[in-house]
Parts: sequence; C-alpha cells; structure tokens
Amino acid sequence: MNLSEVTERISRKLESSGAQPDRQKIESRLRRLVEEFGVNVAEAERTVTGDLAREHNLPNLGSSSSDLRPINEIAPGEWVTIEGKIVSLTPSISPSIAQNGIIADSSGAMRFVVWSRANAPAMEYGHWYRIESAVVDEYRGSPNLKIHSGTTISQMEKDVPLLPSITPSAELTPGVGSVRAKVIQDWDVLHERMLQTGLLGDESGTIKFVIWKEEGKEKLELDTVYNIYYATVDEYNGRLSLTLNTAMYIADEGDIEVGRNETEIQGALVHVAPGSGLIKRCPVEGCNRSLSRQNYCPVHEIQSNFRYDLRLKGVLDDGERARNILIQRDLVEKLTGITLDEAISIAESNPIGMDEIFYRVRNAVLGRYYTCSGGEFAGRMLVDSCVPVTFKPEELAALLNRAGGEAA
Amino acid sequence: MRPQATFEREPARRIFASEFRETRYQFKEDDDEKSPNYVIFPTGIRSNRIFIVGTLTEKQRQGDQNIFYRGRVIDPTGTFFIMAGSYRPEAMQQLARIEAPAFVAVVGKPNLFVTQEGNCLVSVNAESITVVDRETRDLWVLDTARETLDRLDALGTTADSRKAQEEYGTQPEIYRKIVYDALSQVQM
Repeated sequence: MNLSEVTERISRKLESSGAQPDRQKIESRLRRLVEEFGVNVAEAERTVTGDLAREHNLPNLGSSSSDLRPINEIAPGEWVTIEGKIVSLTPSISPSIAQNGIIADSSGAMRFVVWSRANAPAMEYGHWYRIESAVVDEYRGSPNLKIHSGTTISQMEKDVPLLPSITPSAELTPGVGSVRAKVIQDWDVLHERMLQTGLLGDESGTIKFVIWKEEGKEKLELDTVYNIYYATVDEYNGRLSLTLNTAMYIADEGDIEVGRNETEIQGALVHVAPGSGLIKRCPVEGCNRSLSRQNYCPVHEIQSNFRYDLRLKGVLDDGERARNILIQRDLVEKLTGITLDEAISIAESNPIGMDEIFYRVRNAVLGRYYTCSGGEFAGRMLVDSCVPVTFKPEELAALLNRAGGEAA
Repeated sequence: MRPQATFEREPARRIFASEFRETRYQFKEDDDEKSPNYVIFPTGIRSNRIFIVGTLTEKQRQGDQNIFYRGRVIDPTGTFFIMAGSYRPEAMQQLARIEAPAFVAVVGKPNLFVTQEGNCLVSVNAESITVVDRETRDLWVLDTARETLDRLDALGTTADSRKAQEEYGTQPEIYRKIVYDALSQVQM
C-alpha cells in the first residue's frame, strides 16, 4: 500500500471540510505509525485522520464514517459505512477494477466499484454486506461508492427481501433507478456492441433505454410492460437514459397508458429558419433525411427519386424564452393554407422554385401568435398541435384591472 | 464560455414605444467582440432583441451606395423608428415590398445612437418585418401590457431592475398609466 495515496486521501477529506492540511506532516505521521510501530495502514489512516480532525476542529470527520447510513442520504465526498445487498454485478471493464455493480438497502441503491488494489474479498450477488470506511465520489453525475484498501467488508447473516421502489420515469435522477414501463419503440442498433435500444414509456413520460451485449442479457419485447429493477440512469447532454445491463427485468401483466412529455407554449413566431417550406427527402427506406438543392443525402449521396415534404422550422418566443419548434406537413398545410400538392406545382412553375414556398410560408406565419404543444426532442419541440391565439375580451378586462387598479 | 450545446437564443422582449424611447443604458457582458450588446429598459430588463407589432405609417429609402430603409411603426403609446439595411437584405426586401399603412410585426435589435450634441436616438435594427392583421396587433398590446406589468411587479428584486432604477429613476406609476392607456385603445 502506497502511503502517498493514503496521504492524498486524508488531505482531500480534510480539504473537503474546509481545512488546509500539510501533506508532508500527514505522510510523516503515517510513516511513523506504519514503519516504526508496525500499525497496519488502514488503522494508521484512521488514527491520523482522527488526530488531524481534532487538530483542525472538525469533530464530525473522525467518527462519521463509522455511523451506519441509509444509501439514499449519502452525498459525494462523504466517507461512509453502509449495510446493503448486492443487487447487481457487472463485468469489470478494466484490470484496475475488481468488481462493480449496485448495492441496495431499503432506502435506495448506488453503484459501487471495488479497486483491484483494495485486495477486498469478492462479494457475491444476492448477499448482504457491511461496508465500513468506503468513500463516495461522483461518477458521471451520480454518487458512486468506492471500495479501497482502507475499507472493511464483512458478509452479514441477513436475508431481508428488498422491494425496490418504482420511480416514475419523469422523476428519475442520474444514479440507479427502478421503473415499471412499456417498450414503445425498438430502434435500429447502430453499434456492434449494442444489443438493443429504444424507448420506454410509463404514465409520466418516456425515456431512452440501452442494453449492451453481454452474456445472458435478453432483449425486451415491443409493446410489453416490464418491471425493471436497478437500471443505471445516465445523463447525456441534459437527457436521461436507462442502461439495463445492471438491471433485472421481468415482463409484467397489464398495460400502461403512456404519458407523453407534452408541454404547451404560447408565443409569437419570431423566426422562420432556412430549411422551412418545401423540402426534398431521401427515398431510401428508413432514411428520410432532407436533401440539399442538388438532391444530395449526407448518407445515401445523390437521390433523384426524392419525395417532397412540407415543414416549418422556427422559433416560438413568449418574451421570456425562445424555443425551437418543428412543425410537420399536415399542420403546415393548415396554418398556411397551402397543400403539399399546391406547393409542388407552384415551385415547379415558379422562377425561384422552392424559395417561393419558403417566402409564402414565412409571410403566412412570421410575427403571429400561436399555441403549440408537443414533445421536446434534442432541444426542439416536435409540434403535434398548433393553433393561432385568438383575442379574448376577458383578458383585456383583466389586464385593465391589473394596470388601472385603484387609479381607474 | 458556454458550450454550443447549451446555446439559447435571446428571447424577444415586448416593450411599448414610449418606454423604448426612454432607453439610454447599454452594456456588454464582457470584452469579447462577439458578446451581445444589451440595453436595459426603464422597467428593468436586459434585452438584445425585441418583438413589436404596430402600424407602419411611413417608409423611406435612403442612401446611394449603402441603401437602407427607414420606417415608422406606431403603437398605442408612440413611435418606433425601424431601420433595415443591406447587411440584412431579407428584412430590407421585406420592408421594400410593404406599402404603408399596414399592420406589421417586427423582430429586431435595439440600437442606441448618441449624437454629437449628446442626444440619444433609439431605433430598431430589423431582422424581419411581416404584414399581420389587426387581431395580431391587439394580441401584442395585451402581451406587452402583461410583460410590462410583470416587470413592474419585479422592480427592485433583480440585479437588472435595480440597475434600471439607478439609471432611470423608474417611477412604476407612470408606466402603469402607459399600460392602462395602451389597453384602453384596444376595442373589446
């Protein structure tokens, strides 16, 4: 065991409580205990940490790691003692990691890592363990329990069944979560290590899921409801997704009315972006990308058998926030009064071609008030309802009262 | 520096002409050439884009080499001066096409210009101008009234609004009156 590593750990722990310890002093104290007095490293670490905590007047530091804590109350940066059941073990991805998985108690669950250097006894799936003096840090935005050489692991004679609490998908946070959800979309797998990816939905909304190829992992069936226990919740670009490799999933009876993460916004359409109006789409099955003016698809190159489509990419602005919106053909037809067929014949007989449709669409909608609702996807609202705002005399009356108040 | 993924377009603030005309204070958040120019309005909000709807009463073509159009857009409280130059050809051509009088919706950037005599001229550099209908104008008056009242309610509670109070000595009652008068001109 390397003493400078222990030194570093003690210093960080003190620093996280606001103290400024002298690393040299810590190391020399450790060295003295270990080399001169034959104290084992874990004990030396505890002694030095406790001494320094007293010296820096941090009473909680020395003792807190030995108090048993519920998993859901633990925050990154803490040293903890927990009792939990190993509910998932996943294959190690690196030689420096001996084991990784998920440990749970009745309050919640957390990912853990056992470093190879810790020389810890291997923990078994489904057993309860008491883990003393482990450290919690943050990994990809969620708390992660690290088991190092100073951690004591002891197996417990305990077998309490754990019932993971189901979280609505809209309330998941990065870390570990259990959901009851229906498989509503099965997407094409674009990565050779990936077994399956798609969309899960429950009453509160939808969330992307991924299963990586791994022995014994099975695919989910489309349109089937599953209880999914201890999935890993990751955050990427502000969006959550579930990785099911850590999870246990069981098909369940019944059906779910999937809630759509619908939001409604009312505002003025302040911008109509290029790429609105009449566009050409790639005819290759499953592609549907929009083509350039020269009929070039970024994936399938020149496609002269394109098909036409109408769409509107714009910005709806309520004065507080400007949001990107995307409106599909049927709604564009309704809002502008131009059908796709009319648009095609206008474009084909007009000297400026498709630009003419862009201008007509823009002039019909820009600067007007709309109420749009739809789901958010990649920073853009996919609008499935859009109606012009109409003038309501009662709103005028209410505002007059508000402005005039006593003066009126 | 914020990463590209979190880029958010600046919202277009709603403001009546008589408040806009009083705007004097502008600033940049940092020295970077590309950082946006903000103004702070008297009712206490920063802005680098506005949305207005009113009546275009007059437009003029100006300049020989660098052609630009000037327009006057009237709301119930006063006049906005609109500029559309060749650096924004789309907006310029839109304005060129419109015959006054017409209800128009304008999205643009607030622009302050201080003359040699020290007078401050406030105008709007148009990003787009489209012809709309009377209902849209009425909706805008309601929208702008609501936003202005919200700002008045928040006066003194945000850094920007305290700055506005310091710069303009904003008297909420005056602006409440402006809002009330603007609403009174909308037909039930």
